[in-house]
Amino acid sequence: MISRRLFPSMTRARWAAVAVLVVLVAAFPLFYKNQYILTVIVTGLVLLVLNISWNFVLGVAGVWNFGQLAIYALGGYGAGILMLHTPLPPWLAVLGGGVIAAVISILLAFPTLRLYGIYTSLLTFAFAEIVQYVILNDGSGLTGGSYGFPTVPGLYSSLSPDASMSAYYWTILGVVVVSTAALAATGRSHLGIAIRAVRDAPAYTAARGVSPLRYRVIAFAISGFLAGIAGALYISFNQSISPSAMGLTPMSIDVTMLVIGGLGTVFGPLIGTALLTIVQTALVDHPGIELTILGTFLLIVVVFVPGGLVGLIARTYHRVGAWAAEDEQAPAEETAEGQPAGAGTAGAGAAGKGTAGADEVEAPVPRREPT
Amino acid sequence: MSATDIVGILVTTFILGSIYGLVAIGMTLIYGTLRILDMSQGSMVMIGSFVGWGILVVAGWNPVVAILFAFVATFLLGTFTQLVSVQPLMKRRNAIDFEMITFITTFAVAIVFTNLALEIFGPQQRNVTFVIAGGINVYNGVNLPYQSLAMAIVSIVLMAGLGVFLARTRWGMAIRAVAQDLDAARLMGVPVGKLYPLTMGLASALAGIAGVFLGGLYFASPNAGDQPLLIALIVVIFGGLGSLPGTVYAAYAIGFIQATAEVLVGTTWALPILYGVILLVLIVRPQGLMGKPSEARL
Repeated sequence: MISRRLFPSMTRARWAAVAVLVVLVAAFPLFYKNQYILTVIVTGLVLLVLNISWNFVLGVAGVWNFGQLAIYALGGYGAGILMLHTPLPPWLAVLGGGVIAAVISILLAFPTLRLYGIYTSLLTFAFAEIVQYVILNDGSGLTGGSYGFPTVPGLYSSLSPDASMSAYYWTILGVVVVSTAALAATGRSHLGIAIRAVRDAPAYTAARGVSPLRYRVIAFAISGFLAGIAGALYISFNQSISPSAMGLTPMSIDVTMLVIGGLGTVFGPLIGTALLTIVQTALVDHPGIELTILGTFLLIVVVFVPGGLVGLIARTYHRVGAWAAEDEQAPAEETAEGQPAGAGTAGAGAAGKGTAGADEVEAPVPRREPT
Repeated sequence: MSATDIVGILVTTFILGSIYGLVAIGMTLIYGTLRILDMSQGSMVMIGSFVGWGILVVAGWNPVVAILFAFVATFLLGTFTQLVSVQPLMKRRNAIDFEMITFITTFAVAIVFTNLALEIFGPQQRNVTFVIAGGINVYNGVNLPYQSLAMAIVSIVLMAGLGVFLARTRWGMAIRAVAQDLDAARLMGVPVGKLYPLTMGLASALAGIAGVFLGGLYFASPNAGDQPLLIALIVVIFGGLGSLPGTVYAAYAIGFIQATAEVLVGTTWALPILYGVILLVLIVRPQGLMGKPSEARL
């Protein structure tokens, strides 16, 4: 059974728990009609898609790509141009935005191949700054320059505001669920193991015949596509996009979300984005204080809680599990084999691997014929 | 391009290059010693510019006092930054993601400083007026104000002073020893635990003084550190991370490119052109002008 192979930690009960949770979250807009809160949630979900994509390249693949926001914005601009200037249906334009972003992301991957660490971050950041400047100073009218993109109809222009809000909510929630499941499934696949092995031991992995170049390009392509989809959803939902979607401030907020949640974990982006969206919404009138708190929080998490909140939850769960097993002796195999990743907040629904750090690559590195 | 333009470019190169060098040399010193990229240097520039504003405009004292105050304040804050954001992580020094973690923690400190300044001083830009009036007419209307000349000279003296400090003094030699070989330095009795905060304080203090100057050239505002940080990053990568002479050459080269771009295509395009240059440098010669090629690359 394929689900058994890709999600070895998922029992039938856990699948049921995840299903119930998803249905509960999906049913939320049916009962709750406050448009402001729903807007905040949908914006948070768009950000979550972006963070999932960024987590893949930054956390899972370990490539310091700080150009992800530019890729995201380019996906949005690309989708917007497709919506305004071609007869394509809006949903195809959203997919098109993803494809455009994936292509640009692949092109960005090539110059980073010789670089590592901070050098990669600087190159990708330079790319992002250039993209932002070019759009800001674009006089041709295609992108709207610093005024923002001209209004686009979006995905659900024919629906009433209430109905379109729910429709966006479900669409983007669907994207979040599908991409989380897909990336969690990748964790145990050949591809996921190779990508993490390249991150943790590049020389050894290359010596075993796994091409670091190939997997870096694949990681950029996947995360670029998802970031582009996020950008396209952003422009559809807000009916516009402006260069302020990129830059240092949104980037620092996104990094904070990822690191606090747990970089490289499946549920890290989820927890981090949810938590920080709540903090931001609560402190929306005090931007200075808000970011001061976020910065302090970030520092504390990095220094004292390696692996972020997901890591903390996993360790606690582990300890409690071990303690219970010691007490009862009987269900030992269940807890000992069980989850490093029992992400408590998301119900018992842990999918595949989840803890951050080097202890993940327990599976053997896939062997390749030397070329 | 007329001769006036060329002289103007050279004058701007001289001033900007000297000040950029002051910011960047601290970053490269920190990288050489601690192997971290200190993202809080930009906020030190910002703090320096606010100290300059406070001393020169609010208190009305003279520039030398402002420089001394900026030096002390940012030295202490830099030491503090090291103690909260880097020192607790030192035991993870050999982990594969050490550079990434410290990059994030120093960045977190920068976020805190920037937004505290935003909360305390508000977002408006403040003029930092220097008291030295007048200037030299270098050539055909190209003016070199005395205050800019003084800034450039003080910057050069400070960079040279850093060189002498590293070459001649006990602490300076200890810093170089740690940069060259940590274990050997430790075996020779170098107090590495004290040296790290000192290095970061020193580098931050240089950035703080550069902040007083940049505040005088532009403004003091909570975001005043962003652009100097980005330019310092460009300079250190261009010069080769960890190489002090490379950084100084690169600072003037970057200052020259920026000045030329401003004259030829306008101010807004200066930074994107610098980024274009650094993209090329990273693709063609990733170790920079004078850096050593690293084995850790893919």
